[in-house]
Amino acid sequence: MSTLCPPPSPAVAKTEIALSGESPLLAATFAYWDNILGPRVRHIWAPKTEQVLLSDGEITFLANHTLNGEILRNAESGAIDVKFFVLSEKGVIIVSLIFDGNWNGDRSTYGLSIILPQTELSFYLPLHRVCVDRLTHIIRKGRIWMHKERQENVQKIVLEGTERMEDQGQSIIPMLTGEVIPVMELLSSMKSHSVSEEIDIADTVLNDDDIGDSCHEGFLLNAISSHLQTCGCSVVIGSSAEKVNKIVRTLCLFLTPAERKCSRLCEAESSFKYESGLFVQGLLKDSTGSFVLPFRQVMYAPYPTTHIDVDVNTVKQMPPCHEHIYNQRRYMRSELTAFWRATSEEDMAQDTIIYTDESFTPDLNIFQDVLHRDTLVKAFLDQVFHLKPGLSLRSTFLAQFLLVLHRKALTLIKYIEDDTQKGKKPFKSLRNLKIDLDLTAEGDLNIIMALAEKIKPGLHFVLSLGDLFYTSVQERDVLDDF
Amino acid sequence: MISAPDVVAFTKEDEYEEETYNEPALPEEYSVPLFPFTSQGANPWSKLSGAKFSRDFILISEFSEQVGPQPLLTIPNDTKVFGTFDLNYFSLRIMSVDYQASFVGHPPGSAYPKLNFVEDSKVVLGDSKEGAFAYVHHLTLYDLEARGFVRPFCMAYISADQHKIMQQFQELSAEFSKASECLKTGNRKAFAGELEKKLKDLDYTRTVLHTETEIQKKANDKGFYSSQAIEKANELASVEKSIIEHQDLLKQIRSYPYRKSKGSDLSAGEAEHTQDQAGQTSTTSNPDESADTEVYTCRPTYTPKLIKAKSTKCFDKKLKTLEELCDTEYFTQTLAQLSHIEHMFRGDLCYLLTSQIDRALLKQQHITNFLFEDFVEVVDRMVEKQGSALLEPGQDRPPSRSLEECLIPKVLISVGSYKSSVESVVIKMEQELGNEEYKEAEVTEVSSFDLQENLDYLDMDMKGSISSGESIEVLGTEKSTSVLSKSDSQASLTVPLSPQVVRSKAVSQRTISEDSIEVLSTCPSEALIPDDFKASYPSAINEEETCADDSEGAIHFQASISPPDLGEAEEGNLENTPSHTDSSCCIGKESDNLLMPLPTPPHKLSDNDGVVSIPPQSYRQKDQGFHVDFAVENVSPSQDNSSESFPAYELDPSCLLASRDVSKTSLDNYSDSTSYVSSVASTSSERTPSVHPPGSSSERHKKRAGQNALKFIRQYPFAHPAIYSLLSGRTLVVLGEDEAIVRKLVTALSIFVPNYGCYAKPVKHWVSSPLHITDFQKWKLIGLQRVASPASAGTLQALSRYSRYTSILDLDNKTLRCPMYRGTLVPRLADHRTQIKRGSTYYMHVQSMLTQLCSKAFLYTFCHHLHLPAHNRETQELVASRQVSFLKLNLGLVNEDVKVVQYLAELLKLRYMQESPGTSHPVLRFDYVPSFLYKI
Repeated sequence: MSTLCPPPSPAVAKTEIALSGESPLLAATFAYWDNILGPRVRHIWAPKTEQVLLSDGEITFLANHTLNGEILRNAESGAIDVKFFVLSEKGVIIVSLIFDGNWNGDRSTYGLSIILPQTELSFYLPLHRVCVDRLTHIIRKGRIWMHKERQENVQKIVLEGTERMEDQGQSIIPMLTGEVIPVMELLSSMKSHSVSEEIDIADTVLNDDDIGDSCHEGFLLNAISSHLQTCGCSVVIGSSAEKVNKIVRTLCLFLTPAERKCSRLCEAESSFKYESGLFVQGLLKDSTGSFVLPFRQVMYAPYPTTHIDVDVNTVKQMPPCHEHIYNQRRYMRSELTAFWRATSEEDMAQDTIIYTDESFTPDLNIFQDVLHRDTLVKAFLDQVFHLKPGLSLRSTFLAQFLLVLHRKALTLIKYIEDDTQKGKKPFKSLRNLKIDLDLTAEGDLNIIMALAEKIKPGLHFVLSLGDLFYTSVQERDVLDDF
Repeated sequence: MISAPDVVAFTKEDEYEEETYNEPALPEEYSVPLFPFTSQGANPWSKLSGAKFSRDFILISEFSEQVGPQPLLTIPNDTKVFGTFDLNYFSLRIMSVDYQASFVGHPPGSAYPKLNFVEDSKVVLGDSKEGAFAYVHHLTLYDLEARGFVRPFCMAYISADQHKIMQQFQELSAEFSKASECLKTGNRKAFAGELEKKLKDLDYTRTVLHTETEIQKKANDKGFYSSQAIEKANELASVEKSIIEHQDLLKQIRSYPYRKSKGSDLSAGEAEHTQDQAGQTSTTSNPDESADTEVYTCRPTYTPKLIKAKSTKCFDKKLKTLEELCDTEYFTQTLAQLSHIEHMFRGDLCYLLTSQIDRALLKQQHITNFLFEDFVEVVDRMVEKQGSALLEPGQDRPPSRSLEECLIPKVLISVGSYKSSVESVVIKMEQELGNEEYKEAEVTEVSSFDLQENLDYLDMDMKGSISSGESIEVLGTEKSTSVLSKSDSQASLTVPLSPQVVRSKAVSQRTISEDSIEVLSTCPSEALIPDDFKASYPSAINEEETCADDSEGAIHFQASISPPDLGEAEEGNLENTPSHTDSSCCIGKESDNLLMPLPTPPHKLSDNDGVVSIPPQSYRQKDQGFHVDFAVENVSPSQDNSSESFPAYELDPSCLLASRDVSKTSLDNYSDSTSYVSSVASTSSERTPSVHPPGSSSERHKKRAGQNALKFIRQYPFAHPAIYSLLSGRTLVVLGEDEAIVRKLVTALSIFVPNYGCYAKPVKHWVSSPLHITDFQKWKLIGLQRVASPASAGTLQALSRYSRYTSILDLDNKTLRCPMYRGTLVPRLADHRTQIKRGSTYYMHVQSMLTQLCSKAFLYTFCHHLHLPAHNRETQELVASRQVSFLKLNLGLVNEDVKVVQYLAELLKLRYMQESPGTSHPVLRFDYVPSFLYKI
């Protein structure tokens, strides 16, 4: 190829993905900004369907435009920016993650996008964070890959005297494919099994004539309490889909409508995979009565998780949100560092990397018993069954309970905001907070704190003075000494 | 459980990021920060990446064909808001992502330019370095003089919080779509007008050219055309073509599809109009044919101009402003809508989110909302529920009606259907009701109704009662025999009392008029004050209450009634029909009954003499002491400073006497309380409205109220009993000389007052005239003026007359007289040692605690099995004790907290059973429990 001639427009590679169910995703694209030709599309992923809703040309047109204006990109180093388009004229929505990276020896701008029909807007929005979080992390790894590959290519060029520029960066595609396909599968499974926005209380445990009819009283108390303490994020596992789904729906009662739409019922015949980032998900055990919960994905969930086994009535929970986030970030850094240090392609394979590096030594005991008892959920459960089922009384009572939780959470946020003067001053006393806001029971505080952390992310950072991240107990002791 | 293979390998529990290798560390740009707030001083409240603007704002930008992307205006239009933020750069950034394929030109196969009615596109993007993130709403407007007839614009909501934009995407999109529709509607109108002008010009030009051509034709007799003639002919042809093109454009703009008017009230009318027009096929260039159109009508004063052959399109001319493009009216409306959006989404995301969640949850609680929720919001929700039209941009929310502005219905609430926690003795009562005009006329004729006499008599008796520290309930309930009124004017009104009442602590039910009083027990002596309570307020307690003398009597209220619709005094008796099965269970008996409307009131107004005689009811529930219910029909509210009026009620002195007996003889055993259930309300009011303007629910109001409440609980050690009074439905009178101070405290304490209507809280901020019994019916918190002059002695006298039924907070002397409180609920609500610093925070705390309280009351009210006998043999006493047991054991209530929940439950029940909620008269309860005097 003559270096004097501009390179021909590369053919857009396409990967067709066979999905078992309906795919709300029209396509995913990977585009880059060519310094000569402008925005170019490198790869397209599309579900394999009989009816083509969007031609390759249209996909390419849309993907090119995701990089529109990015010549003006003014981002912080390492930033992965999210752009979101609703193009009524085209009838699509596009989510683009824009990032800078080194490829082909040049620093350039890239865009990984997913395209959905506009009719799926309300379906997609509750899942936006899940999709973005997952794609963001694969991009982090992809950037390292691109960087390392460039170095390797330079070495090859020097050693072998050959130039294979057109091949450079190609191998990032399989890496992206490794996450794009699961995201497609996730959206597909959510399309068929997501929890509806409105839950009929008759489909839940709260419709029982008395507490303990469907499940043991203590188990229900633990499950709901822990579910709230882990920011409404739970995994329900069992052998019976019906039983699992009843608990899933029950837990979803304590979520907002948007969060419910980010929750998934379990499939009756075969189990879904665990999906990081969903609020509540029901999963079926296999024929041996076990379920494999992927540690890495559990760690990468935005909130800690409550593990509920409806077969043996056990409830386990991860550490509080602030500890979880801290652990998660450490884990991510470790993974990226290991990736950076990996020397061979085998080492860099996505799912093997974590085994190879000795520095990945997280505390495996991430699920623990529910230690802190609360009075809020206990009182609620003690009382709600006094109301006659079948009427709207229990729904109203539940709404009151949720309102109390939200108001307490908001009061707590405001309290800390006042006390620290919006983070300018150190927080004085957790003990006072507990007394003043009537949160003396440790479980109550955990529930309200989890809700507050969800509404105001980073709140606990102020509370913990930014130092103590390991155990909230230690932290509270320290704070109480003030 | 966790059997994933990817965790099996992990055995080491130390730091998992040890830099044990001598390999290069991961560059920061490829890593993730360990802490969410890495930079110095960063925290959840600090600006992300240090945005250069102080708060969210809206930017309107245009992609000008002359100068490129440029900012046009910001909302708010204050340079301080966007500070040093580079609007030019950001305009460039946001306009560069416009996706609209707005195409105007000659598409293949089309002879004329085609307008493409592009739909708006919405983009969320950001500039992470500047810390600016935006929701950008792109739209295209039409301009006849613009290149391709289009002018691309965008409206951007710019915020430093990325999550806010995404989490509020749908709301932002909906609101900006309204603004966009408004702009586009105005633009279509203006564009059509512009086209019509142009067509007139072209028509005129054609006429001129045609005339010139004809002249030239006539002048030319050589048989061939001169070059000048050819030029004119070409010009004419060009004009003809231009006319056809513009006609086509006009047709197109008129045929704008009616697609989005649902989302925009502003353009609905216009859109319908245009839709109708869309069917028209007229392509005529004659403006007269479309002259009847309202929207696209050209101004009649327009004078056509001659258009030169050369195109007017050039780059040195001034482009139309946005206002010119969109018609001033629409432009103004758009700005109002954008201003509304800016207000709507202003502030911290967490408050936006929780307010949205709050609203959603409150929608499910219409049964309990009225108690403590902000009435403005309740009204809003009601409006929403009724499917009322959306608020127009910039339009203020509908002002709430104050309590006094509401018409008070005349329908009586059945006392029988109303289920009280105590048994009742129904007592005859007369009262005078009337509108202001009638009253004023009556003032000179009082003697004809013996009102003045009654008043004097009443005053005398009340004085006697007060001076001896006695209470009405003793007189009214101790004697259970039928007692005739001793007043001549009340001769016809009897108060039948059951003989069994005496000393048996039983309750007789006697219904006279519409009023009832519940008397449960008498006041204890000073010796009854618990030691621990004394210790906690060592210098605060002086018991004023002494026991009444034994005597006979009955409560006898008299009032002349003059409802506007009746025109004359009318009396009506209300029968309290006791039900054996009804003991606060009427709601919860069976599920079928749950949604049943209120049973027909068992009382009727007599057409003959205005009096319905109700036979005395047998007593029940001996262990609950006396219980007298009375209801007032068409109560006449007392007047404010300006108008002096006579009280519209009168107490029978015999009742006062009788009350002494009971109080003296039942010191220990009686819990003395009276509940007053009013069932009818006046249709008019001369009172000034309660000071609850729409703005009172604003954040500022809440903050101020919370701050003053916080001061109160810190300053006054007796804040708890005061708050308890409010929560339990006992009217609290705040007495003081300084209006501002009284008003301030009343506003502060109003946050604890349960509401019983859907419009305003029963709070009277300032009264200077003597209080009447009806005031206690209407108001649960009253600010009362203390004046030193002798003329105002009546005010204090009236106050002391009712001091047994009310709590009195004397701001000047720093004293409080009210029943004792020993619960645990109020201390959690109002702890004087609280470290809460701000009023708004304290307000939130109170709100959350009161929501919890409402929840308890709801449970108690609608708990079926509580209010029904478990079996046929179960007595009312057993049911009652079961209820108390439930309150204590299941709801964890202690001592006086029980009464709070019972009171709220009664309000809930009363409201639930009303056919038209919010229109009834409030419940009024007098608690004849012993009062104590607290001092600082």
